[in-house]
Parts: sequence; C-alpha cells; structure tokens
Amino acid sequence: MSVAVHLDGITKRFPGGVLANDQIDLEIEQGSVHVLLGENGAGKSTLMNILYGLYEPTEGTVRIDGETVDFETPQDAIERGVGMIHQHFTLVDPMTVLENIALGWEPIRYGGLAIDDGAVEADIRELSDRYGFGIADDIHTPVEELSVGVQQRIEVVKTLYRGADIFIFDEPTSVLTPQEADQLFEVFEELTAQGKTIIFITHKLDEALTVADRITVLRDGRKVGTVDGAGTTQDELARQMVGRDVLLNVDKEPVNRGDPQLSVSDLSVTNDQGIQKVSGVDLTVHRGEIFGVAGVDGNGQSELVEAITGLREHTAGDISIDGREIGDLSRRERMALGMSYIPGERQERALVLDFDLVQNAVLGSQRDDQFRDGRQIDWDAVREHTEEIIETYDVRPPNPQALARSLSGGNQQKFVVGREFLREPDLVVAAHPTRGVDVGSMEFIHDQLLEMRDRGVAILLVSASLDEVTSLSDRIGVLHDGAFADVVDPESVSKEQLGLLMAGEQIETERAVGPQ
Amino acid sequence: MSPLKERFEGLLGTIVRLSTGQRILVSIAAVIFAIGVGVLVILAAGSVASCGSPALYIMGVEFCYNPLEVWLVMFDGSFGGNFEISRTLRWTTLLLFTALSFAIPYKAGLFNIGAQGQFVLGSLGAAVGVIWVATVVPGGAVGRIVLVPTGLLAGAAVGGLYGFLPGYLKVRFEMNEVVTTLLFNFIATAVAFVLVDRYFVDESIQGTQTEAIPEAAELNPQFFANSADFSLPVFVFALGIVAAAYWLLTRTTVGYELRAMGSQQKAAIFGGVDERFTTLFSMTTAGAVAGIGGALYVLMVLGRWQTGPPPLGFDGIAVSILAGNNPLGLFPSGLLFGALQSGGQAIQFQLGIPSELVGVLRGLIILLVATPELFRMMGKRLNRRGVIDIETEGSN
Repeated sequence: MSVAVHLDGITKRFPGGVLANDQIDLEIEQGSVHVLLGENGAGKSTLMNILYGLYEPTEGTVRIDGETVDFETPQDAIERGVGMIHQHFTLVDPMTVLENIALGWEPIRYGGLAIDDGAVEADIRELSDRYGFGIADDIHTPVEELSVGVQQRIEVVKTLYRGADIFIFDEPTSVLTPQEADQLFEVFEELTAQGKTIIFITHKLDEALTVADRITVLRDGRKVGTVDGAGTTQDELARQMVGRDVLLNVDKEPVNRGDPQLSVSDLSVTNDQGIQKVSGVDLTVHRGEIFGVAGVDGNGQSELVEAITGLREHTAGDISIDGREIGDLSRRERMALGMSYIPGERQERALVLDFDLVQNAVLGSQRDDQFRDGRQIDWDAVREHTEEIIETYDVRPPNPQALARSLSGGNQQKFVVGREFLREPDLVVAAHPTRGVDVGSMEFIHDQLLEMRDRGVAILLVSASLDEVTSLSDRIGVLHDGAFADVVDPESVSKEQLGLLMAGEQIETERAVGPQ
Repeated sequence: MSPLKERFEGLLGTIVRLSTGQRILVSIAAVIFAIGVGVLVILAAGSVASCGSPALYIMGVEFCYNPLEVWLVMFDGSFGGNFEISRTLRWTTLLLFTALSFAIPYKAGLFNIGAQGQFVLGSLGAAVGVIWVATVVPGGAVGRIVLVPTGLLAGAAVGGLYGFLPGYLKVRFEMNEVVTTLLFNFIATAVAFVLVDRYFVDESIQGTQTEAIPEAAELNPQFFANSADFSLPVFVFALGIVAAAYWLLTRTTVGYELRAMGSQQKAAIFGGVDERFTTLFSMTTAGAVAGIGGALYVLMVLGRWQTGPPPLGFDGIAVSILAGNNPLGLFPSGLLFGALQSGGQAIQFQLGIPSELVGVLRGLIILLVATPELFRMMGKRLNRRGVIDIETEGSN
C-alpha cells in the first residue's frame, strides 16, 4: 500500500513558547484507518490542524502522496484532497442538506446567476448510493430536522463532495449514542473500501481498538509510538498515553444509602427559546449515593441541572433539599444550603477567565463569613484558600496570580472541581466533571467523588461519558427527550441497553433500582 | 491564515501587551504628534481666514494665526500661572465626578451615557435644596456646616435617583441602558428648564436661572486666585471620592461582584451574584457621583443654577475611556481634558481664534491620545470573543 500522508519532523511552537508538537514523524497509509490517540493537550488536534492548513508548522514538512505541500489555508488543503470533520458541525441549521453540501462549492448556471441544484442533487445521490449513506430522501430537508448521527453523515458527504481523499475526524463520537457511533464506524469501512484514508482523533481507548488499522499515541506533544490496532490492549495504550500504569476500573464500596437529600418531582423546564426541554421528571438523590444521568447531549440535561442549581426557572414541579422546598430560592440561597455545582460549561460559567485564580477561588463564596472582613473581601484568606485548592488538586502552573484564561482546559477543570469540593457540600451536582481532563486527573476526580459519596454526600452526576456514568453511579436515569426513559441499575445493564434507552426505546430489564 | 489578518493580529497584540509605562509614553508621543498635526491645521485655517493684521507671512502667503503662538498660549492658559492652573483644576475636579459616573457602571458591564442628565438634575437639586434650607439656618460658619453637606446630599440624591431609574427600567423591563440613559439627558435638560422657569426662577434678573445661593454655601476659592472659581479642598475631596471608588471596586464584596458581572455575566450568575443588584447599585452610585459633581458646579463655580451647562457629562465618558476606565487613571486623563478646556478658553479670548478651530484642536489631541486605548479595548474584546488570537500574559 502506498503512503498517503507523510509528516516529517513536525514541530509547532506557539507564541509564548508553548511547544504543542515536538519533532513528530508520522506515516499514514492510503486506505487505512489511522487513530491518533492522546489525552487533551497531547497535541493531536494541533498536528491535524497543521495537516489541514489551519496552522503552519514551526519546523518540518508535510507530504501528500509523496509530494511536499505547504498549506496556508484550509482551502489549500481541501484542494489537495484533505478534509476535516470537526467535533462541532459546520452546518447551517435552517438550510437544506443540498444547500449545506453545496455551500461554497456551488456549480453555477447562467454565468453565475443561479446555482445548478440539479447537478448538486445528482452528485449527492451518486455519493449516497456509492457509500450507502442513505441520505437520498433527506436532500431537501433542513439540517436542523435531522438527528445528530445523520448530520454527521452529511458532514462526511460534504467533505466527499469537495473531493477529499483524506478524512480527518476530530473526536466525532462525543455527540453520538453508541449505536450512532457504530454506524459512523460502518461509514469508515465504506470509505476505506473505496480507497479513502481516515485519520481519527480520539482519547477513547475502546473506540481506537475497534476501528484502527494502526494507532499512534501522542503524549505531551511527542510521539510515543505507532502500533498495529490488532496487536495491542487497552491497558497498554493507557500506559502509553499517561506514561504510567492506570487503573481503568473504579473500585467502589457498596452503596450505603441515607435519607433523601435532593428530591425533584414532576419538574418541567423550558429553554431560552421557550421550548420545553424537561417534562415531568421525578428524581431523588439520597445521601451517600451517586445518581447518574445518562443521555445524548441536548436531551434536557443542561436544563434539568440549571433548574436544580438555581440558574433557570422551572415551569412546573417541586425541587427540595433535605425536605425543604427550594424552587423559589435564589442561586446564592441554594449554595448556602450546601449545594456545590460543577457546570459543564466551565469556560463560560465556572470561571471568570480574565480574573486570576485568587479572584476565581472566591467566586460563589464572596459573601461567606470565611472570606469576609466587614464590607471587604479578606483577600489574605482567599489567597490561602487558593493555594490549598492548587496544592490539593495539582493545578498547574501552581501560580495563584495566573489568569484563569491562561490555564489549560484540564487544569481549569481541576481548579473548579477543587473549589466546589472544598466547599464541604451536602449535595454535589456535577456536570461532565472530567470533560477535557487527562486520565490521571480523571482518576483523582473520580476518587474524590466516591470519597464524598462514602462520607454521605448526595451526588447528582451528569456525564456524556457512558463509562463514567456506569462506573461511578449507584443508579442511572437515562434521559431521552426531557424525560427519564428508565432508571436502571448500572450493574445489571449493558452498554447496548443503555444505548437503546438513550435513543428512546424501551428495554426488558430487571428493575432492581432501589427506592425511587 | 491570510497575511492581512496576521498583521492585524500582530498590531493589536502589540497594543494589548503594552505595559503601563509604555502606555504613558505612547500617550505623550500622541500629544506631541497631535501638536505637530495641529500646526498644519492652524496654518491651513489661518490661510483661508480673513483678518485685519495677519500674524504671519510665509513666502508671501498671509496666515491669520501663528501656530507657535497658539500652542504657547494654549499651554500658558492651562498651566501658566495660579489663575490658569486653578481654572484647569476646576474643570478637572468636575470631570473626575462625571468620569467616575461612566467608569463604575462600565466595570459592571453597563454603559452609562447619562452622566450629563444626572449632573444637570443633581446641580438643580443642590441649588434648590440649599436655597430652601438656607431660609431656616443662620449664615456664617454654622450655615456653611449645614448648607454645604445639604447641597452635596441633595445633588447625590437627585442624581442617584436619576441613575436608579434607567437601572430599574433595565432590570424590570429589559430596556437597554444605553438608549435610556442617552435619552434621559434630553429629558433632564428640558425638565430642569421647565422647573426653574415655572417655580424657581429669579425674577430680578434676565434669563432662566435660580436666585443665587447664600454666601455661606459657596465654596470659596482657597489658596488660588479668587476669580477662578476653584477650591483646593474640593479638589482633594474629589480625589478622595476617586480613591473610594477604587477601594470599592477592588477590595469590597460588592465591587468584586460588580467586576465579575462586568467581566463575565454567566460566571457571575453562577457565583450567586444578583444581576438586579449589581445593575441598580452601579447605576444609582453612578448617578449619585455625577449629581455630586453637579452640586459642586453650583456651590463652587456658578453660585446658582442656570441653563446651558457645559457638556461635562459627555466629556466624562471620554475621560474615563482614556483612563482605561480605571479610577487610578482618571486624574491624569481628567487633567488633560481640564487643561484643554482651560487652554482652549485662553486661545479663544486672547488670540481671537474661532471656537470651532479651538474645538478642532482639542478634538485632535483627544482623538490621537484616545485611539491607542480604543484599539486596546477592541483588541481585548476581540480576543475574548475568540475572533482573533492574541497571546496575553499569564498574570497581571
């Protein structure tokens, strides 16, 4: 087989001295699936952005089919047959599939007066048939009416339509159900069967092993090695990613369920557009248990969490903590009742990016006696507290004066988790607590969550990672379309069953789920 | 990435990364450059104007104004003597209040364009309050102790209420504060005129004005020339208010909440900050501060309320922006504006230069000095929104 992409000695140094890629050599064979595996910040995306023409390398050369290229813009890369499918789709929601696919590459008629829709449609049908995408019926449907899985396929068709031979997928499965992910992997097979080359960026070990012909592991901007997908194991890959042995499975004590701490009954919530996103949810989280909420992003998780934490008004139903109705209480009053909240949107919500860590450490506790000195904030006490967070949660750089903006995503998250956990809460609402953090920190955050649970804290855990929800939770509620499809016991449910529930289907299962 | 965008990013990045010392140097360079450009403007204007005795002949062309003379008189009129310095500081003092009135809400993420209206009504409140209370208190030292605080409190109360209103409209009806505060300025001027004309007018003289406040309430010039309407203790008081605002914003819980709201609204709400509170608090405080400025305008400068107040409220916006909306920068920035005001008066009266040209020269200096700061604000904002990518320092 010929080599489609050669990367020789690629080094990328950002202004300010951050070395994102350090002398990386990579060969990607034509017609194969090549996985780039690594933790967040390992340099995977930077490397691929160089290949896609978004960045120029500081050193090193890129060769496509043996020919040296120098892409200045993604446009150059696309013309050379390199396409990239981003984690967040680049589709225009109200436009039809056809319009989206043709956008920017429209064949024209009458000397530019009109778009040749007929030609586009014929091309799309041809591509859809050849690769078995099954989107021919949706050509004139607005993209927003299609499921996320179909939208992703349209991204693929769009890239094909532009003549791509090399496909870069950047963490494509984070928005998909397990079933949709499997369908995407079938698309991979179709593409490679037709001689296309796929580069698949991920940090999920099982996915890497499922689809890869070859796997390259990156760590701290360097290449650790390239192995055959068939000849390696999860443990081996995890060790390469982190640089030491990692405990992939969580050991936890049997649940010791106390009184109900958080009770939600018949809760309905609408989003900013007034569309009902949560419909009549009942849920109870007891002291000493972790209640997991699984579901595909956008099925009401954010609205549910925001209503509980006091960031969004609910339209119906009751919320109570420790038997006290809190539905009308302000965010501050709820925090005062011992509620900690790790929001999913850490950059928008959990941190003031232009404040330093000291000023961020007091966010949410600015009126607590602990940090007050009359009308003033007791900045000395806050500074001490900041150092405690930094030390306990291994935030790097360990500089209290660093702006929150300047930290990497994983370190920002560690700081937020540390701040919220050190509040000594009775109830923790954690949305995606380990999103974007490295495997080592993930272990630590999981341990902390379990330790709080064992101390009798009630924990509501929302996560897009099924592994995380199943390994930590004592019960799992699967949200579909704003309501619980079912509440299940993680011990007795398979991933496939969870996937079906996430898609809104019912399953036959023993409902040994404890008290409601 | 296109080279044009890269160069643009590079330029903005350079401006954003400037240290405080470098920013001061840039400002000084901008003033010098503006003086240079101003020479050309003065020559050009002088060549087309008609005057009896030209100030300058160059190669047979008559110029009505001598640029060197204009700038010298401008400088001399700002800092040339006790009278000039006190006239400069008088404007600076008043501008500090109206500038704070912009800076405080700005830190909370609000644009208060209404300092002018708050200033006008605050000054009327002070005049009317003092005149009323004066009927029941004796003159002399006792009167001063009662009347001056009365004037300041009345100004603060009326101005504060007039700042509270747009805050309330925003909180209650989501009305944009830029629109309401801007329009409130016109309402304030009109309402003040009608009130004075109908109820408080001094019939003994022509024009729409209140009677004079009693002498006991006047803040007499001290340490400086008598006729400049400037009192040094008042200036010190103004600096104290600026220091208090700095303390409020950086040290206190309320200030922290304000800055969090202004810097990142969603994070502030996450942290339990009440947006209604920060909006009402900052707008009311801003109005009160502008109102105190108005009170001082009556007590220190005019001695009564009359129509046609100078646009100190609007100039205050520019003073604040030039200071990077940081209370610590307000004094130098206010001093520049005060000097331009004072020097502008001098060249207008001494050299007979038309007020339009004076305005052009002042505008030129302000424009050139403020532009780097404006680009700095823009660069930071674009960077925050991710439109451009500037490496900023990890700490500050």
